[in-house]
Amino acid sequence: MAGLFTFSQKRKGKIMTLLPKDIVSILDQNGIKAADLLHGMECDRLPDGGFSESYLVLSRKHLHIFCGSGVTKEKTFSGYAAGRRKAAGKPEQEGSGDWAWERIPLERLEALTIVNLVASGMVVAKEKEERVIGAFTNGHMNQAVRFAQAFDKLKNNEPFEAFEIDGKSDGASCPTCGLMYPEEGRPFCPKCMKRHAVFARLLSFAGKYRLSIFFIVLFMLLNSATGLVIPYFQGTVLFDQALAGNGAFAGRIGLVIVIILAFRTLSLLFGILFGTIIAKLAAKVAFDLKAAVFTSLQRLSLDFFMRRQTGQLMTRVNNDAQELQYFFVDGLSYFIVNAMNIIGIIAVLLWMDWRLTLICLLPMPLVFWLVRTAFPKLWRLSWRRHRKVSALNSIISDSVRGSRVVKAFGKEQVEIGRFQQANDAFSGAEQRFNKWSGTVFPILNFLTQAGGILIWAFGGWYVMQGRMSFGSVLTFVNYMMMLYGPIQFMNNIIGWWSNCMAAAQRIFEIQDAVPSVAERPGAVSLVTMKGDIEIDNVSFGYEPNKPILKQVSLRARPGQMIGVVGHSGAGKSTLVNLVSRLYDVTAGEIRIDGVNVKELSVASLRRHIGIVSQDIYVFTGTIAENIAYADPDCQMEDILHAAKIANAHDFIQKLPDGYDTEIGSGGYSLSGGEKQRLSIARAVLHNPKVLILDEATASLDTETELQIQEALDSLVKGRTTIAIAHRLSTLRQADYLVVMDKGAVVEAGTHDQLMAREGIYRELVRKHDEALKMKGEIIA
Amino acid sequence: MRIEEHRGMELADAAGIRYLTPSNSEFAETTGHLLSVWTKGEVHSPVYVHCSFPHTNQRSFLSIRTADNKEIGLIRYLDDFPQSTASIIERQLKIRYFTPEITKVIAVSEEFGYSYWEVETTAGRCRFTVRNGSGSVKFAAENRLLIIDVDGNRFVIPHVDQLSDKEYRMIETRL
Repeated sequence: MAGLFTFSQKRKGKIMTLLPKDIVSILDQNGIKAADLLHGMECDRLPDGGFSESYLVLSRKHLHIFCGSGVTKEKTFSGYAAGRRKAAGKPEQEGSGDWAWERIPLERLEALTIVNLVASGMVVAKEKEERVIGAFTNGHMNQAVRFAQAFDKLKNNEPFEAFEIDGKSDGASCPTCGLMYPEEGRPFCPKCMKRHAVFARLLSFAGKYRLSIFFIVLFMLLNSATGLVIPYFQGTVLFDQALAGNGAFAGRIGLVIVIILAFRTLSLLFGILFGTIIAKLAAKVAFDLKAAVFTSLQRLSLDFFMRRQTGQLMTRVNNDAQELQYFFVDGLSYFIVNAMNIIGIIAVLLWMDWRLTLICLLPMPLVFWLVRTAFPKLWRLSWRRHRKVSALNSIISDSVRGSRVVKAFGKEQVEIGRFQQANDAFSGAEQRFNKWSGTVFPILNFLTQAGGILIWAFGGWYVMQGRMSFGSVLTFVNYMMMLYGPIQFMNNIIGWWSNCMAAAQRIFEIQDAVPSVAERPGAVSLVTMKGDIEIDNVSFGYEPNKPILKQVSLRARPGQMIGVVGHSGAGKSTLVNLVSRLYDVTAGEIRIDGVNVKELSVASLRRHIGIVSQDIYVFTGTIAENIAYADPDCQMEDILHAAKIANAHDFIQKLPDGYDTEIGSGGYSLSGGEKQRLSIARAVLHNPKVLILDEATASLDTETELQIQEALDSLVKGRTTIAIAHRLSTLRQADYLVVMDKGAVVEAGTHDQLMAREGIYRELVRKHDEALKMKGEIIA
Repeated sequence: MRIEEHRGMELADAAGIRYLTPSNSEFAETTGHLLSVWTKGEVHSPVYVHCSFPHTNQRSFLSIRTADNKEIGLIRYLDDFPQSTASIIERQLKIRYFTPEITKVIAVSEEFGYSYWEVETTAGRCRFTVRNGSGSVKFAAENRLLIIDVDGNRFVIPHVDQLSDKEYRMIETRL
């Protein structure tokens, strides 16, 4: 009991922040001090629908229920940016201040359970009968689970964890603005992480390439500077001097043409120069970025990969790197050059004639107005078209990939109908988009060209009045034309900018992600391992209130083989994932050679623990490389020996390319049994002290299983083995068996002990034998 | 989905599903506002009501299950039961499927892969955050849009075609 109240001082402050002042004063008036309060939770919905505010509080003797009298009319859920409208805090409550208070003595309560509902949960208390004492939305699930655990521990007089305000526990909110991160476990605050910050970070990444970027910009500037001279020679010099017979170039048309040609050539040369540097840099940036993202990915824990679809990750590595490549290579340099071009050209135009410049800008407001009104609509139409084409594609892919099913059920006509419908929808969306873009763009074109027409009109007038030469007007128009390109670029830059920032942010997210299973500083490194495994009261769940393992304990002494049996979904695979620390336990401890796995270095865990699982991955490469995955520098004969032990040697010898056979994507395709034997060979070569066999033979036919069983039998010798199997025959060598059901160990003992007991194991064996008999009859 | 009568019977026999009817079962609300059912001479309490088709048909094929997820039986049509019983079960459905219906979309803005929604719902004004992509905004049935926020809270637009043009424009690019 001493440990139970150690935290009361700490708890006091935190529970008080959870509870409204009124409740605190009600408690105070009734002689219940803050230090008496042990745990609390907020319930924010009414069972009948609608939001409200109520609180459940545990004190040493009672469970207190405080129900607000009003219905909450406004609710801000977690993640909603604080600055967006109102602080994401307590909901406003009508008629708050009136609290209905009920307290139930703890001895009258048998149990407190959290019932999962759809997107919410409720707290059910059991006195004589169950009753609902509160309901809450999903965001409070963690708090509710902790509350129920605290109740259990309080009932059993066990110490429990200190109360934490939900969601505000370590790393759940932004340290700068206090806003809760939109996604738990993802330390990313959309409010604080502004684009300029991402941009600054990107620029720092670009530092590596500054020399190349400098040359790109330099050559681009030279390219446009030489280009800028040309209109002057083509207009003013050619018409007003050479042709008109005035000035330095009077009558020297040939020279003017040569000069124009020279500048064009120079411009071309600079263009080629920056083009080649860009091409080189592009490949380099893409390579570096992909390498950086891939390295960051490999560092992360398994749950990161399980939470995200593989496709999404591959897209990240590839597309986002591509997007950023554009940023460094094209975006940055073109932005600088185009901005300079715009400034330069406008300066030249103003210098030539500021009135004409203003005239050519006259239609601009109209252009801007059109762009602002028409483009969002165009964008929406294009989005709609994109959605329709995706729908169409998925139908095509469905019926092509599912063609066997389509034919078997004779549903060709239905598929044609489904396709027609989607095709119709797509065609409609496409037509609308095309109609709009077909209208908007010509108008825009006309408007921008109207500037040119105005120049010709006013310029012509100037020429007739003798205020401006024909050559100058021509030069002016040419310069103006040169302005369109850069302006168009700037117009598109918004979209490009946000794509690029989004890609950068996603990449930084991977780089910043903290592996959930991280090595402690000063972790113990085991040079040798005996293989003594102790699983002590371990509980684990991927999500709150959905425990996969409940207080599992077992012991495997060095060299022992422990068999874990049970129905699928009993938590067997989860258990072994915890032993190899692919995930961390929620409660309890796993010790290897007496050391908590959390204290062990990841390297020593990986070095000494080997896994052969049902789910075998073959990497692209040769068979030899696949076997030598754990130790690429091993001897050739080691590979042969490992393959021999794994019963893989013979089938490999039959292949025309032997151990050099390319497998994996695009290579020779191995059968399930062959792959399994490769993975066993991989484990043999790895030579771990602790071996985990996770349904190693589940997907194989009986005969192949027998061959693999032989291989496994020789593999387990001298190692501590934890073997999971559906088929009990696989476990005949086990020293000790553990039967799991719904996340808990329900039976344990040797085969004989378990058979003597009329329990689940005996029933499993009976069913297994029956199935084998049936199979035998079928084969016979 | 038309099922011919005789085939339906064969399937029902094979499936071994037990249908609960007013004649073979009796529902009651416990004093703790939970549901109990009496059938085959046994009382199960508490039991929970799961909709087989929560989006397309909330009044048919309701599965009555224990806390251990064992099915006691299936209600074919809720309307076969007397009003008093039906309303008890409806209340349980409301408890389980708490999904505020969006009556008005006030604002949807987007930033860095998240969209921020402010809406008027049947349960009052709600503000929530939705992760882009990953199927957080999807049609659960024709014309019925389901929106799931970062915590897994659910909101629904029951009739997308009844949104005003302005509202539709706000949500369209989130689809």
